[in-house]
Amino acid sequence: MSLMADEIVRFSSLLRIAFNLLTGRDYLKRKKFREKKKLISVALPFSDIVYGFPDLVPVFPIRTHVFKMHKYLQYLGSGANIFGWKNVSNFLGFLKNLGIGDINKIIDEIIDNVIDAVNEKYNEMYDIGIENGIPSDFCYGIKSLYGMHVSKGKNYDAILNYTIRCSAWNKYHESLKTINNTSKQIWIDIPPRNVGDALELLVNNLYDGISELEKISGNTYDSNILRNHFKVANEIRRSYKSILYEISTSDFYPCNPATFSEILVILNNSFQDYNSNAIRYRDNMTALVHEIKERIRNKIGMDVSNMPRILITPMFGGWEPKTHEIIYELGGRALYADWDVLLLLEDIPIEKISDPVEAYAHYLMNATTNGIGCDNNTLTDSYFRIAEKLNVDGLIFIQLFGCHSVSNCYPMLKEKIRRELEIPSMALTFNKIGENVEQVKTRLGAFMEMFR
Amino acid sequence: MDNLELLSEYTLFLKEEKQKGKKVVAFISHDNIPEELLDAAGFIPLRLMFAGNDELMDASHDYLSPSTCAFAQSCIGLFSTKPNHFRFLDLVDYFIVSNHCVSDICASEIISKYFNIPRLNFYLSYTKNENSLKYFKFELLDFKDQLEKIIGIEIKNEALMDSIKKYNNFKKKLLEFNNLNIRGSEKLRILQKAILYGPIFLPELESYTLKFSENQIQNSKDLKDVIITGCSVFLNDYLIELIEEAGGNVISFDTWIGNNYYYQIFEETVINLTKNPFDLLVRRFENNLYGDHSVPNFLENKVSQIEKICQNYLEKTGKKLRIINHIIKFCDHISLMSAYLKEQLQEKGFPVLNLERDYSRANRGQLSTRIEAFLEMV
Ligand code: SF4
Ligand code: SF4
Repeated sequence: MSLMADEIVRFSSLLRIAFNLLTGRDYLKRKKFREKKKLISVALPFSDIVYGFPDLVPVFPIRTHVFKMHKYLQYLGSGANIFGWKNVSNFLGFLKNLGIGDINKIIDEIIDNVIDAVNEKYNEMYDIGIENGIPSDFCYGIKSLYGMHVSKGKNYDAILNYTIRCSAWNKYHESLKTINNTSKQIWIDIPPRNVGDALELLVNNLYDGISELEKISGNTYDSNILRNHFKVANEIRRSYKSILYEISTSDFYPCNPATFSEILVILNNSFQDYNSNAIRYRDNMTALVHEIKERIRNKIGMDVSNMPRILITPMFGGWEPKTHEIIYELGGRALYADWDVLLLLEDIPIEKISDPVEAYAHYLMNATTNGIGCDNNTLTDSYFRIAEKLNVDGLIFIQLFGCHSVSNCYPMLKEKIRRELEIPSMALTFNKIGENVEQVKTRLGAFMEMFR
Repeated sequence: MDNLELLSEYTLFLKEEKQKGKKVVAFISHDNIPEELLDAAGFIPLRLMFAGNDELMDASHDYLSPSTCAFAQSCIGLFSTKPNHFRFLDLVDYFIVSNHCVSDICASEIISKYFNIPRLNFYLSYTKNENSLKYFKFELLDFKDQLEKIIGIEIKNEALMDSIKKYNNFKKKLLEFNNLNIRGSEKLRILQKAILYGPIFLPELESYTLKFSENQIQNSKDLKDVIITGCSVFLNDYLIELIEEAGGNVISFDTWIGNNYYYQIFEETVINLTKNPFDLLVRRFENNLYGDHSVPNFLENKVSQIEKICQNYLEKTGKKLRIINHIIKFCDHISLMSAYLKEQLQEKGFPVLNLERDYSRANRGQLSTRIEAFLEMV
């Protein structure tokens, strides 16, 4: 296979994931208006029970927006529509016809552009959130999510809200009720601790949520459908973990480390709703793992053995997306693993527990008590666990302005990491994308000096 | 008596209680902590209900980010700097980590961890329905277990029932006192002291009620009546002074150190008909409709509650109440809803000032100007 062909092959699955992420609006419009499916707004990776109803489509709300898309990704998308994504040679032919020489660069550029397009939209939504009454004191994620609902909330038939330990998050969900013509809210309370029969209550709460979903769907809940979805969801999780733990810890990467970080960012974003189609997402994830491994097996890529591994976390509430690029320029490689910190990449235990709802309750309770934790001590341990598991050389903690929950972990984490892992760590403050890139550069410059 | 005197007096009180062998359990003062269980187990509940200042907030920044609510920051600051009048904090034996909000969790956890105070846990669900009530009961039973492990004996239902009755009676008396038409600063001073001490303060409270009932404001025509909602005005806060200096008079404290506390009372018949005291505590949690912890109906409940208070007041006195929504900077619950609360109340014709502040001295001038302008304008 020519190098050119090989370069495309390595990421055709990722390009599909990216394409599906960015073209969500068209896909969802088709689902809603042509296929008469109902859209359910979800946030954080809590979309799974919606998949129990084939006529309901979970959507992480940024995806109902129109994104500026890199022209080559658009071409690729059009090419795929004509030739089919799997037909890589047609792809190549299509690209060759465009007269593009440096495919490597283009691939990097496309992926980079996906992140930029999403983040530009986040910033736009952040401003809408503030204009519509969210005080600027709140975290980036809450402001932008509120903005997303203000601008496109009417598309949803319901909003699925899980309560978590962050009070701002729970109140944010309540605040969505203030938006005119807002959708129906479905609440699923996750008990803060596993005391008494809390697990049983969680099962009941999930069933209550399901019966609300039944009302929207008009169909009766079928445990087989949900069980089958959980099988798919678990496969997705395994692929995700394989990328995190087999690939990102290895000394040889299938691409440059900045692009690899961007892959992790795209996965982090798209994992929240599986781009509204779990089976398609599972297939793309499986293919991605395969493509990456093939490339590594053929020794195509980059030796990264002398580049320090830097864990950047938490980034799901907002972070400066230039961070990994800067780290790469400074000789390091940045890793993102938020969902596994919170134990949301664990399997949903359907092999052991026959009732899928009960299995999901176990999964959520485990994430709540051992991942997210009911206090910062547990959460600190979660960050620590991942830093250790990824065998990182340094940790950058994103201290999100307005976050009164996870951000407050850092003093404890810093101490623990210094004492027990003996690696350096640093807190980077963040308020809005692009706001202080220069300062980020300076701070990262000083941090990365420690590894020279 | 000024606040410093109160704090010294309180230190003496705690010391005496400790000498009697009592243990002190502290917690950040919001609603829903079952102090009756603490009382039944023989502990002294100590509410952290003290306002902050620059030094206290600064002292917390070693432990958490400055974008945490100013009250939670100050609670940590108190333990970290132990100012002279707060030496009684050395007497705290246990600290409750609770999730009224996430800042409550973080600050309580830090106080317990870094100042070596053994921790007790008491958590709540955020929603309010049948299952969250059941969860509340699990937490109560778990809390009882934690306390029993410390004291080494069972907390009997009878003892808990007695404590519930004691607190219920105390709250009724507080409500009676609250209904007196006296200056807001005077009212708050007594309320704060009473809530700090708990039912032991009852005789004094009754004598205050007697004394002030004979000295109520007769002609309040010139006073601009105010209801404070949102975050509490804690001990040592100058806010009430600013309101009075601007010609205002607070007639209702719709906060944790105020309505939230003494409106949560049971009718005698309910107490008499309920066999299990834990059910009473669950019921109280269920009835706490106006507390800011719960979702998803806090905003609408709060708007209707304030509307009712304002309308009743208008009918009774012919006067319009001004609403000050007191927002301690970075308070998740009160701040996030503030714009919507204001909008909805204003749509109903009630004037609202969203007064956001931290505890810095530099804030005072600006707060004063805003309060004056608001009271002037209405
Ligand atoms: S934990 Fe922090 S980042 Fe996440 S929603 Fe809460 S405040 Fe925002
Ligand atoms: S954030 Fe609000 S509710 Fe929480 S501790 Fe601070 S003042 Fe109290």
